[in-house]
Amino acid sequence: MSDTFSYFLMAWLDPQLLLLTALGTLAGIYVGAIPGLSVTMAVSILISFTFAWDINNALALMVGIYVGGVYGGSRTAILLNIPGAPSAVVTALDGYPLAQRGEAGRAIGLSTVMSVIGGLLGTLVLAGTAPYLADMALEFASRDYFLIAVLGLLLVSTLSGKSLARGIFSVALGATIGLIGMDQVTAQPRLTMGSMQLMGGIHYVVVMIGLFGAAEAFYQLHNLNKVPIKQKVDKIIPPLSMVLKFLPLSVRTSLIGVIVGALPGTGGDIASLFAYDHAKRSVKHPSRPFGEGAYEGLVAPETANNAAVGGAYVPMLTLGMPGDAVTAVIIGALVIHGLNPGPMLMVETPHIFWFTVGNLALANLFLLFFGLTGIKVFTKVVEVPKAILIPLILVLCVVGTYSINSSMMEVYWMLGFGILGYWLKVFGFQMGPIILGVILGPLLDETYRQAMSSEGESLGGFLLALVSNPLSIVLTSVIVLVLLSQTPAKSWLLARTRRS
Amino acid sequence: MSKKIERVQAGEKVFDWLLLLLSIGVLVEAYRIDGIPGLNSPGSFPVGLALIMLASSLVILFSHRRKRRDPQIRGALHEFQVFWSEHFQPHIVVFTLVSVAYLTAIVWVSFYLSTFLFLSVMFIYYRNGRILSSLLLSGLAIAVIYVLFTLVFRVYLP
Amino acid sequence: MFKPLLVSTAVALGSLAMAGSALAEYPERNIQGTIQWGEGGATDNVARSLTPHVEEILDTTIVLTNRAGGTGVIGMNHVMNQRADGYNLLYGAENPLLYQLMGLADFTYADMHTVNIIGQGLVVIAAPADSPFDSFADLLEHAHENPGELRMGGTGAGGLPNTVLAMINAVDELDVRNVTFGGDGPGITAMLGGHIDFMPLSLAAAGEQIRGGKLKGLAVVTTDEIEALPDVPPITEALPDIESFLPWGPFWGVFVHKDTPDEAKAALEEAYEEAVASDEFQEFLESYGAESLNLNGDEAQEYLDSWQSVTAWSMYEADAESLETTPEELGIPRP
Repeated sequence: MSDTFSYFLMAWLDPQLLLLTALGTLAGIYVGAIPGLSVTMAVSILISFTFAWDINNALALMVGIYVGGVYGGSRTAILLNIPGAPSAVVTALDGYPLAQRGEAGRAIGLSTVMSVIGGLLGTLVLAGTAPYLADMALEFASRDYFLIAVLGLLLVSTLSGKSLARGIFSVALGATIGLIGMDQVTAQPRLTMGSMQLMGGIHYVVVMIGLFGAAEAFYQLHNLNKVPIKQKVDKIIPPLSMVLKFLPLSVRTSLIGVIVGALPGTGGDIASLFAYDHAKRSVKHPSRPFGEGAYEGLVAPETANNAAVGGAYVPMLTLGMPGDAVTAVIIGALVIHGLNPGPMLMVETPHIFWFTVGNLALANLFLLFFGLTGIKVFTKVVEVPKAILIPLILVLCVVGTYSINSSMMEVYWMLGFGILGYWLKVFGFQMGPIILGVILGPLLDETYRQAMSSEGESLGGFLLALVSNPLSIVLTSVIVLVLLSQTPAKSWLLARTRRS
Repeated sequence: MSKKIERVQAGEKVFDWLLLLLSIGVLVEAYRIDGIPGLNSPGSFPVGLALIMLASSLVILFSHRRKRRDPQIRGALHEFQVFWSEHFQPHIVVFTLVSVAYLTAIVWVSFYLSTFLFLSVMFIYYRNGRILSSLLLSGLAIAVIYVLFTLVFRVYLP
Repeated sequence: MFKPLLVSTAVALGSLAMAGSALAEYPERNIQGTIQWGEGGATDNVARSLTPHVEEILDTTIVLTNRAGGTGVIGMNHVMNQRADGYNLLYGAENPLLYQLMGLADFTYADMHTVNIIGQGLVVIAAPADSPFDSFADLLEHAHENPGELRMGGTGAGGLPNTVLAMINAVDELDVRNVTFGGDGPGITAMLGGHIDFMPLSLAAAGEQIRGGKLKGLAVVTTDEIEALPDVPPITEALPDIESFLPWGPFWGVFVHKDTPDEAKAALEEAYEEAVASDEFQEFLESYGAESLNLNGDEAQEYLDSWQSVTAWSMYEADAESLETTPEELGIPRP
């Protein structure tokens, strides 16, 4: 026990580790805020950079970047309607309308406090239940991931605004874009139109930068000479009553985040989608209608994606298996530093677990500090004249896209998606469902085919598997329930029961 | 379903027809993967998705029957004029063309030079002159990008 | 219309610049290193732990970029399209030797210059810890009695599990349900949950799980027992005929454009040879479950040729229909 505690406090007491965690968190916020600069990329660069360092120092810096980066994505989502990372896509839905009402400062303040709450709850779950949660995550077979993806697809009704047909079209379009590239099973090119460049597919962040960043720049050209909204900067730190009011919701969405994060096949992006959906379904009287600046619409995804960080560490620390792309790179860092990430990690190097837990908690406290200071300067971004902002956004989109794969081809695609996104926006399509499709399409395809192969290519066996395993039964029933509640079947059923 | 008759925007119908065409294109491309796909083959999802796109774009087109054109718009030619004046305002067209030129230029004259030119041109145009401050702003932006991307993140910009 | 003109001007300027710098010693600026697989994978881990040693020796910075996708086609294609000045390196794995056979691309490592074949991974056939099989012979027997029942984890056409399966099928019959995952990691995770029955894996990926008792090794794909996994029998115990394909394993190497100036090639070869031989890196390879090779020049070429011939022919004998062409048409000699 005393060992546990001293490992936990390692990062808190050593000035060097303290400084590195703080530095990482601060840098992470900016990495996260800039579309295209990803935490995965930053951590990979740090591997070479920290090669000769002590492993604890390297890990402290990486934890800081991770925590800061996941949070940072919300900044640009709120201020410019351009999510800095896929897990901040839903944050933009209510965050940006808030900025347009002059409440950008309040929105960032709230998202900071809520991110920290989510991050701390995620860390708590990691500390308390890691081995059990890891065992539970292993129970998920391909068919269960398939069911989760289907459940995710049902979010389309939440994201598609007024026209469901347009939403469904967008999801299918997004999924099609996600499938471009070489088929995983047969190595055949799919939908590549004969292009060698497209064999590797189009990175989903490229689609995101195009549809949100560049399209937004084009769209904002209509308001070129409009005077920017004056931002209120007095009420940045949310009052305690407000935090307490959202506490029950944030606990629920943090749980969603940590569980979805702990599943090796899903991460913060999917977690934030589920959390937003949950908020929309469970909060009967939001502060404003969802999509028009509801605080609840900001609280849910922000708690979930930060809680997912703790979740992602669960399989990594207990089993040596990555919970997402970032933890995969951190595992690589451990290997390069001569540690053996695997089931024996907790036995042979017991300090790593509690050191990481303590470090995550510390990074979240730094996040609270860095997140709440400097908001005033940040909100000024919204007040920059559009004549300056719009060309800068385009340049940022170009650099951001190029940094992903150093490919000019993807930059052209980004501009293409920007122009497409502009027209889709003009004619009443939402961007959310397209990103939903890009994220879930490949997951659906992959897990469906794994499940089919596992059942010996028999559709009957596949369908039977969906209702013959406890976990799958639960997921299938949830899907049926959601479907029933969304379709006319619900009102029909209600009408019938009332009549009888 | 609201009873209120929705308005169709200028050009919306044409756009929705284009989406139908896109769906057909995707279907053709998906069919080329492995013909009519089996239950578990590379083409099953792409073909399925293309069919969903096709069906939903037909639904979108069909929904136009319930909508009315803005009564102020008289005839197809006028609709085209409204569409044109709304979306092809000079500052939008210029921005689009300069952006395309900018992306093409990156390969030829390096990232930093073309970005500097792009930013300066757009700033000067949008801010009606003010050449000196525009050049300064572009220079500042370039410097920030250089420090952040080339020095810190070691992204090798072309 | 301007394109050819501009290209030729660029080439002219480039060669002028190079002529001017002939006196200066290579390398005089940062080198770009492209890794053909994603972050956190085996190729990535090897590249990132080797590179700092090379940087020290060459006294320069090597900027590493992951360009994953298309079984590595994207990354290799990129490096081949860069200027042949020695400032663009490819960190690659074994896959390009099979591109032509599988119709993925029309190039292979013969179209590049090999700087160093760093090392070779060992392969182990792993199963969940509670698997009813204790050796590969048990598994093979069960599969003979119940064809098409067992679920094998794979990573798609051209991936390591499929190649090992092809080798087995070239000398015996193993009819399984091949479940394709995005990589070793997701496959191992599925196996830990008991959702697949076995999977051929690189020791680097599976070693820790076996040591931790979460997985068990059914066979190592070698002719003798290996030090790292003392109780796991070699595959030749169950399948003596497979010996003709061994030793076999995935490998990692560093490559540059074929037309790179000799001076740069020599400098790189020397630096990489020294870096791979360094104690620290050798220690890393050992703990990573890999064998050091450190080959360049003719030795490297021999290694690549023999690897290609063994793999291509076993794939051809196991399932000729899944291939785009025959090894014979590509001029690959029989092993």
